[in-house]
Amino acid sequence: MSTVTVDGVEVEVAPGATVLEAARAAGRWVPTVCFDERQAPFGACRVCLVGIEGSPKPLPACTTPCREGMTIATEDATARRVAGAVVELVLSELPEAPAPHTELAQVAARLGVEETRWPGTVHQTDEDFRHPYLALRHELCISCGRCVRACDEVQGAFALTATGRGFEANITAGLDAGFEDSTCVSCGACADTCPTDAITEIRLLPQSTEEGWK
Amino acid sequence: MSQNLVELIRRHHQVQAPTALEVLKDAVEDHGEVTDSDRERAAELSGLPEAAVYGVSTFYDDLLAPRGARHVRVCTGTACFAASGDAHVDAVRAGLGLELGERSEDGSVSLAETVCLGFCHSSPAVRVGDAVDAGSGAIERAIAGESRAAPEPEWRSLLSEPVLTRPGDWSGLRRAMAELGPEALLAEVEAGEVRGRGGAGFPAGTKWRFAREAAGAEKFIVANGDEGDPGSYIDKYLMERAPELVLEGLALAGYAVGANHGFVLTRSEYPRSKPLLEAAIARARAAGLLGEDVLGSGFDFDVTVVEGAGSYVVGEETALLACLQGLRGTVSARPPFPAERGVHGQPTVVNNIETLANIPFLAARGAAAYRDLSPGSETAGSKLVCFNERFARPTVVEVPFGMTVRELCEQVAGGLRDGAAIKAVQIGGPLGGILPASRLDTRFDFDALAAEGCMVGHGSILAFDTATNMRDVARHLLRFGADESCGKCFPCRIGLRRAHEEFAGSEPVDRERFEALLEALELGSLCAHGGGMPAPLRSLLTHFPEELGLR
Repeated sequence: MSTVTVDGVEVEVAPGATVLEAARAAGRWVPTVCFDERQAPFGACRVCLVGIEGSPKPLPACTTPCREGMTIATEDATARRVAGAVVELVLSELPEAPAPHTELAQVAARLGVEETRWPGTVHQTDEDFRHPYLALRHELCISCGRCVRACDEVQGAFALTATGRGFEANITAGLDAGFEDSTCVSCGACADTCPTDAITEIRLLPQSTEEGWK
Repeated sequence: MSQNLVELIRRHHQVQAPTALEVLKDAVEDHGEVTDSDRERAAELSGLPEAAVYGVSTFYDDLLAPRGARHVRVCTGTACFAASGDAHVDAVRAGLGLELGERSEDGSVSLAETVCLGFCHSSPAVRVGDAVDAGSGAIERAIAGESRAAPEPEWRSLLSEPVLTRPGDWSGLRRAMAELGPEALLAEVEAGEVRGRGGAGFPAGTKWRFAREAAGAEKFIVANGDEGDPGSYIDKYLMERAPELVLEGLALAGYAVGANHGFVLTRSEYPRSKPLLEAAIARARAAGLLGEDVLGSGFDFDVTVVEGAGSYVVGEETALLACLQGLRGTVSARPPFPAERGVHGQPTVVNNIETLANIPFLAARGAAAYRDLSPGSETAGSKLVCFNERFARPTVVEVPFGMTVRELCEQVAGGLRDGAAIKAVQIGGPLGGILPASRLDTRFDFDALAAEGCMVGHGSILAFDTATNMRDVARHLLRFGADESCGKCFPCRIGLRRAHEEFAGSEPVDRERFEALLEALELGSLCAHGGGMPAPLRSLLTHFPEELGLR
């Protein structure tokens, strides 16, 4: 066990624990988008930045291991400023604001991000409703990798992949011929973890898009 | 990087299965594009799931542009930009009647862009098939179907006895095995304070020590030959002119770390690197210098060469390992570091080509002699630098650390050709800062360049002459940055696109807003691509604000 201090509170953490785990053990909130505790840390969204004493720049809580005596500031001003900017960038790539019930919308709201300073090209609408239960709206994908990792690490179906590069990065199933023509077993783990409703279970769609989430 | 996919690859590797990327590259070579049946075949042969293969097929430049019978690739690297702006690209588009990434309807000819061909000494460069033509008339010849292979200038050394610009003679490996042993060799590398020459400057001895002490059933050494930095052709020269020196460095690393296999990852933009390295490997095996029981020492060491497929970020070590194993070349968060979990999940050292080429001298002569190579500097060893076409005598030159950038530009490279004047130089690649002509007296060394917001980086010295508009430079660099972002982390994936959009038109750029974007890139990005792109932009903001069109 080692002892770290999170926002002035000392907590004991197990060997190999991450800064994010330490912060949560201390009851502190750290914003995350690509993190899902059922999956190995990925380090893509960079929204979980925190201040760490002795580090010249903020570090991502999810992939930084704790060291004995580490002092962590979850609300470090620079870390929060950059995290907010990154959330603004994510909002800027979506053709519409994320639905209020989504994790992305909730993180944005809690960070006080309402609009983006960097409007620009948005993802083109590209909807795939071929599967009876799973809907994929590529334009809402933020390439957090949670669905791909759920399919790989949790379900072991390997039906999903990241595609493209840079701003064009997205996800797809199989050889891009839809969930049904892939090794998808319709388990729904991807829809369950998606933080933007890019993948949803079809029966939930009307509730989330037409009537608002109940 | 998915550990499940890595484990699948490891198991298939044991039965000599090709990687998915190798199968897809072969398909493009064979019939000009990747089809679904190629993807199915790649999945079957490599053991990767079909979805993962699909992901690979949408990542690499070489798999994306369809090829005709005559495939023309025009270089859009920074040296070619400095030579002609985008005029050579426009000329080849007009001449062939094709857009970038397009193939003619009859399939006779196709056009793609490539960054960079490593003919920065003779820009603009264009590749047709495997022949790279460059310099005056190259574009016209490519359009007419009359391309010829351009010559490459000889390299040279300012040292009394060349350390890097020489063919390897394996004397370092002989001495290490006869007199030192692995632990003493590693101690020499640590004492020599060999800093990585690929950009980050990380101490090689520290990496080796981690890997040597890491637990693993087997260990690997990977030579990073993915010299993607536009304007740099140093590792190209080493791989193609001194492959034995690189292989000797690899074998020494393997000997010190306890690894029995090495890989070299070469760039597909350098079509000669892989065959020349493979020929040198065959010679070394025949001479008992590679293979089983090297020099009768009981140590086994062999080397495999793997060629990439067009992606700048694959030069980052975790992305490089993904590419080497045939996966998408995206960056992974560290830890785990490659020294702990690399190729096939085993401890792996990733060293730049030039870094490894430093090791034979150090092994033969010892740390003290190595440290003395740059008498005017705290930095140990020598450095290869290279110059772009704007200079009078552009080539690769071995120099001691500590000379001023002015001495390098004026005395070593002869100043600019045709009496032109330097406006600014970008040092070390696209992530390196830009030094205006007024600061050329800065010493070429790690600390001195860092103080100017610049870096040694890969060692390229790329001059822009006074005819260059610096807003065009910003636009050029940001287009490259956005195109090459691997797409893994959010700040780089979206931020570089937005930064390019800011400069793409003629509208004035809001300075405060742009600097906030640079901060998010610099502090938020996962790797040095997004984290490093702000450096040259900050140089431009500092030294050429009036040219950038700010408000």
